[in-house]
Amino acid sequence: MNDHLLSLIVAAPALAALVVMFLPDGARQAIRWVSLLGASVSLLGSIYALATYDSARAGLQRVEDYPIVPSMGVHLRLAQDGWGGPLLLLTGVIIFAGVLASWTVSKRDKEYFVLLLVLVSGVLGVFVSQDLLIFFLFYEVAVLPMYLLIGIWGASHAVPAKGPFQAAWKAFAVGDKQYAAMKLTLMLLVGSAAIMAAIFVLYLQAGATSFDLAHLAATSYDRDTQIIVFPLIWLGFGTLAGVFPFHTWSPDGHASAPTAVSMLHAGVLMKLGAFGVMRVGMVLLPEGTHFWVPVVGAVAAVNILYGALCAMSQTDLKYIVAYSSVSHMGVVMLGAATLTPAGWDGAVFQMVAHGIMTGLFFALVGIVYERAHTRAIAKMGGFATVMPGVAVFFTLACLSSLGLPGTAGFVSEFVVFLAAWRSGHLIWTIAGVLGAFITAIYVLRATRAIFWGPGPSDDFHELSDARRTEWGALIILGTSLVALGVWPRLLLDPIDVGTLTHLARLVPGVVR
Amino acid sequence: MTRPIVLALVGLFAPAAAALLLAVAPALRRRGTPAAALTILGSVASFGAALLLLADRLHGGPAALATVPWLRSGDSVIAEIGVCADGVSASMLVVVTLVALCVQVFSLGYMHDEQPPSFGRYFTYHALFLFSMNVLVLAPNLLQLFGGWELVGVTSYLLIGFYFRKPSAARAAVKAFWVTKFADMGLLFGLFVLFAATGSFRWDAHLAPAVATAVTLLFFLAVVGKSAQFPLHVWLPDAMEGPTPVSALLHAATMVAAGVFLIVRANPLFEQSETTRNVMLIVGAGTALFAACLALVQSDIKKVLAYSTCSQLGYMVAALGAGSMMGGFFHLTTHAFFKALLFLAAGSAIHAVHSNEIDDMGGLAKRMPWTGAAFVIGALALAGIPGFSGFFSKDLVLEAVEHRLGHVPWIALLGTAFLTAFYMGRVVVVAFFGAPSGEKAAHAHEAGWSMRGPLVVLAALSLLGGAFTAPFARLHGEPYALHLGVGPVLAAALALGGFALAYRVYGADRRAAPAVLEGLSKVARSRAVNRFYEFGFHRVALVVSSGLAWTDRYLVDGLINMIGYETLEGGRRARPLQTGLAPDYVLAVVLGVVGLAAWAVAQ
Repeated sequence: MNDHLLSLIVAAPALAALVVMFLPDGARQAIRWVSLLGASVSLLGSIYALATYDSARAGLQRVEDYPIVPSMGVHLRLAQDGWGGPLLLLTGVIIFAGVLASWTVSKRDKEYFVLLLVLVSGVLGVFVSQDLLIFFLFYEVAVLPMYLLIGIWGASHAVPAKGPFQAAWKAFAVGDKQYAAMKLTLMLLVGSAAIMAAIFVLYLQAGATSFDLAHLAATSYDRDTQIIVFPLIWLGFGTLAGVFPFHTWSPDGHASAPTAVSMLHAGVLMKLGAFGVMRVGMVLLPEGTHFWVPVVGAVAAVNILYGALCAMSQTDLKYIVAYSSVSHMGVVMLGAATLTPAGWDGAVFQMVAHGIMTGLFFALVGIVYERAHTRAIAKMGGFATVMPGVAVFFTLACLSSLGLPGTAGFVSEFVVFLAAWRSGHLIWTIAGVLGAFITAIYVLRATRAIFWGPGPSDDFHELSDARRTEWGALIILGTSLVALGVWPRLLLDPIDVGTLTHLARLVPGVVR
Repeated sequence: MTRPIVLALVGLFAPAAAALLLAVAPALRRRGTPAAALTILGSVASFGAALLLLADRLHGGPAALATVPWLRSGDSVIAEIGVCADGVSASMLVVVTLVALCVQVFSLGYMHDEQPPSFGRYFTYHALFLFSMNVLVLAPNLLQLFGGWELVGVTSYLLIGFYFRKPSAARAAVKAFWVTKFADMGLLFGLFVLFAATGSFRWDAHLAPAVATAVTLLFFLAVVGKSAQFPLHVWLPDAMEGPTPVSALLHAATMVAAGVFLIVRANPLFEQSETTRNVMLIVGAGTALFAACLALVQSDIKKVLAYSTCSQLGYMVAALGAGSMMGGFFHLTTHAFFKALLFLAAGSAIHAVHSNEIDDMGGLAKRMPWTGAAFVIGALALAGIPGFSGFFSKDLVLEAVEHRLGHVPWIALLGTAFLTAFYMGRVVVVAFFGAPSGEKAAHAHEAGWSMRGPLVVLAALSLLGGAFTAPFARLHGEPYALHLGVGPVLAAALALGGFALAYRVYGADRRAAPAVLEGLSKVARSRAVNRFYEFGFHRVALVVSSGLAWTDRYLVDGLINMIGYETLEGGRRARPLQTGLAPDYVLAVVLGVVGLAAWAVAQ
């Protein structure tokens, strides 16, 4: 079966971007509707792709193969495995909601939507690429527009210079949006350099004939190579997944980024990192993985607990959500580190669950910020009186974040922690569960500080509930959270199919 | 699908349908009255189904179980969801839906002054609560029970914080959630240990002794949180910030009893660990006595009832610790009726005088005969006066506990029975008899039938609930015969003595506490347990957190900034090498050539 659906899903946002580029500057509505159309094609296409994936047959489906540089064995090779559908769907949902949430962007809106759509094409491409070089190219396409999106449309704030390294503060204007954009880009590029080195090692050792992931996976690399290359991939991709201590681009980046960019970045881009670690690092390098996995798991446990503790004393709303992402991405890595079917299922499910949850969070933060003109939660209070709808969705995001049964967050956290406990990693599990408890503390504190209490003070004149397109974004994200929490098998079953194919290389006992 | 399964599903989904409809149709919710109608309709359907289910069970119908796989991984099913319709769930379902229905009807009158949107929000929460509670009650395994457990926690949070504009209510809601969530980690880890040992979440597994003790102790931690046992009882008195009908339903009759229900449900597991049972016995009896002492010195009528709830939950826990599932579960049932009754009657009084303080009431029985009679019946049932429902259940508890751990828990519970009668006597005497303390109390009048009706129903159940003892025992396959030994006589005598003493101390319009209670009052005001947690949160957790946040900002990120900075500096330092003068470059070339030549020669 070849319906070129994957090409369509990946290309639709980029094509929309191309159309938007040729629209006149003033065509506000046209720019938005074309963008939304591009996003809708990807969203609907991903739903169709997920629904028609043949779980019984498993493996790669809808394979499309176009030779790019035949002499080097570079092919644009797209295919959907068990993980592809759910991750495409996540991206589709987030970009659709993201475009809706960006409806009110007024500064250079054309360029904004173009960059946003190009970025999403990159993300979608990564999830279905079966050629490592193309995978990497898509990855870079997804990462680089961030620099401009944050640098131009972002927001700045001051961070006082303290501590032993304050010399650097004066040189960099820490807290500035250009600083945040620069730090994010440089850190991720250092990671990319490590990934690229790793890719070439694998390519050469596999005979320098093909970048096909299946070909690379069928090669057995010698143990020493694996042990050296795995950390390059883990930390290279891991930087984007917010792996401690290379997560520090994330709080500043998310705090400075405009609403939809935060949504996409925390919602899907960070998942690319974790996806890269699992899909490339772990699947291609079984021995390296087994060697390093105690470290990967321990760092993931640190991520969960450390991120949650850092979030607890933040006073800026965006920083709270950003640190909570650092914490929740730890759950993904923890699941991956268990090397069990349940752990991997949970990890991939958490990518989706956290993506939607944090997308919802950032959409809400954007709404609040736009009306309150501050992100300092200490100044807020009583907003539920004037923005009840926003309060409801914020509470919902909080509940998923703290892992309430009936929301998507519970499924992934429960499955991951259960897998970790069952495979004997008691300390990791305890750290993880404690992290989830601390999450309950800081999210409910934030909710109380922002929305509860006597009505808003006189400093806030422009508070109002969500508006039309904003409702669209909130409803689609909120509904997804609940739907996945109530019936997780919508995604868990296909994810499991992918997990078993991929994990079979690492753990020979795992067979369908 | 068999009949019991259909009934259980109706019981489960009727309130769910109401909640869902109200959630997706804001227009309906904001109009208020339709929301109330829908919610009550859902509860009626749920209650009807529950009654039919119970009737089936009483006539010896088979227990039924229906599940679907909910989580699958690899080739194994991790967890299922569904419904389990057996004696335990059927009787609990009747209690929950009946009390919920009474409370919702009562709320029609009690919450009448709310704006329509907030009236609608209130009933939406109620529908959501009933659904969550039914998820818990009908759970076919412990994982689904955990799901319902967490969901009722959230609805409790929402309902305690119903008056969210009031800072104290907002604080109380969050506190309740944190404390119970902390305890819930025990349930979560218990599930992990259970699953690691058996590969399922069934409650009838056979475990190695050490594993059984670990699992049940972890479960019991969650029970301590949910059922407000010492030392995690601190959230329950604060939870009285919620509307009074909410206190009646969630924080007296049903949700707080979920902890006890968990023990009843997982009784096959708890049976396997004598250690856990002894811990339960000690914690339960200790809490019963401790909370009863604190109830003696509360001036807020709801706080008295809240501590009394802690105390009675202690009875149930102690009974289960002594191995009497019947005693614990039946006391849960009768307590649900008379405590809900007490709260609703208190609500009716509060509604009339606009104050929670018993000192602001006085003489209400004369002006509000229905409410007064209801409260007195509730108080007599709670104190365990012979003939009232509480007598029968308390008797079962005391009988079970009597010979355990050298009679100590038994004596503690007997003492509690005396204190219970005393503090209830005090409230009755001060609030409902004597002279009114002010204008409001003097002009108090009975509310409409929506508030009186539920009082009548619950009063009847509190009065006659003892008649259910034998069927209840039959339902759970335990022998039951009322016997008059020294225990029941002693308990009844102590209860009557408590009332008599209360009348002596507080009768004839004496409102001040006797000097004996001054010390206790001081202890209660010191909030020692609360202060311990506050210290832990502010001085430990928040300090660690801000230390880490500082570290992250200025050390971890600082180091990364420093690397960037030093790279720039390095470049700046290297810049003088690029002089732009030709002789310098020629010199460099010459040096390079000489160096290479030297190296070549050396080779």
